[in-house]
Amino acid sequence: MDPSEVEFLAEKEFVKIIPNFSLDKIYLIGGDLGPFNPGLSVDVPVWLALNLKQRQKCRILPPEWMDVEKLEEIRELERKEDTFTPAPSPYYMELTKLLLNHASDNIPKADEIRTLVKDIWDTRVAKLRLSADSFIRQQEAHAQLDNLTLMEINTIREFLLDSLNCMYKLRSNLQPGATKGQFADY
Amino acid sequence: MSDALSEDGSDINQDDSQEDVMTPAELIDKLEQAWLNEKFSPELLENRSEVVECVMEQLTHMEANLQRVKKGDAKAGFHRMEIDRIRYVLSSYLRSRLQKIEKYFPHVLEREKSLVEGQPSLLSPEEFAFAKEYYANTETYLKAVALKRMPPNLQAVDMLKAVPEPSLDSFVFLRVKERQENILIEPETDEQRDFVVDLEEGSQHLMRYRIVAPLVSSGAVQLI
Repeated sequence: MDPSEVEFLAEKEFVKIIPNFSLDKIYLIGGDLGPFNPGLSVDVPVWLALNLKQRQKCRILPPEWMDVEKLEEIRELERKEDTFTPAPSPYYMELTKLLLNHASDNIPKADEIRTLVKDIWDTRVAKLRLSADSFIRQQEAHAQLDNLTLMEINTIREFLLDSLNCMYKLRSNLQPGATKGQFADY
Repeated sequence: MSDALSEDGSDINQDDSQEDVMTPAELIDKLEQAWLNEKFSPELLENRSEVVECVMEQLTHMEANLQRVKKGDAKAGFHRMEIDRIRYVLSSYLRSRLQKIEKYFPHVLEREKSLVEGQPSLLSPEEFAFAKEYYANTETYLKAVALKRMPPNLQAVDMLKAVPEPSLDSFVFLRVKERQENILIEPETDEQRDFVVDLEEGSQHLMRYRIVAPLVSSGAVQLI
């Protein structure tokens, strides 16, 4: 899956915005939004929030977890634990990137948040590499991956799945009488 | 989003006969689930033409409404953006199906041939026509380019053997929508033994597609 498609899914998450225009309720196929009143916060999907922001029609309120103190706590916990701790949001990396790139003026301490999220990401991806390595070494057939986000899975997907397939191909050729040709490449 | 997904999973079994009670938002969720499943499963899944048709209907309806709106209306812009997003998912879904048909066409057609009366077809009528045409064109092409210059005893080619089958033993990532008990996992090596796992609702796993294939088609797990 392309990372931009993961980002596409992340854009469905809701954020609060404060519009500077007024508009009645709108009835989208995916649900109703609004009404919009200047100065009153309203929930909209991220794709719409970014569009409005780019046209300077709203101010985006950062999601609750996008806060220096909370992220510092998460970072410490993530570093301390050997397993994956619950991510701040299932799309924390994508949302941080989207919101900080397009609305950094609405988010207090944007630079600190960027660094913190990057730290959390790096710690988690390092753990992910370690566990992928032991998964392959021990030739496991099943792994439980709670708390991993889609973007994290996506960074390792092709490499891990292709390697597992290659190893399976090699192994099944070792065993006499194994079904051959199933994995033949053309 | 995960809440919406799990809520949606519970009514998957009921909606076959009463699709009209589904809200448009649920419909879009269905389409997205079908899209992700199709993207990540190694084999071609059953077609969801009822979902595709309903979404198409929604889009056409919305577009017809937008024709009547005058230019510069703020709401129309929102609607257009939403339409574009849904259209992207829809075409990406259909495209990934076509790619699989192109990759595995002899096996897909073979399966259609062996269908028993009443068993649902994997392909929509349009996809079936595409698969047949692709088969015929590939055969003609191979004949024209190489086979007819071969000695007569080597001119036949068995497509079923020439094109690799989808490998059901690939690993997939999945999220559980309905709790499952006692899923048997076969070991990778001879020294290890079989073991069973319970799949808790909301948990995520990595395992072979073959084990969970029935759960994917029933909607109990979602590939991610």
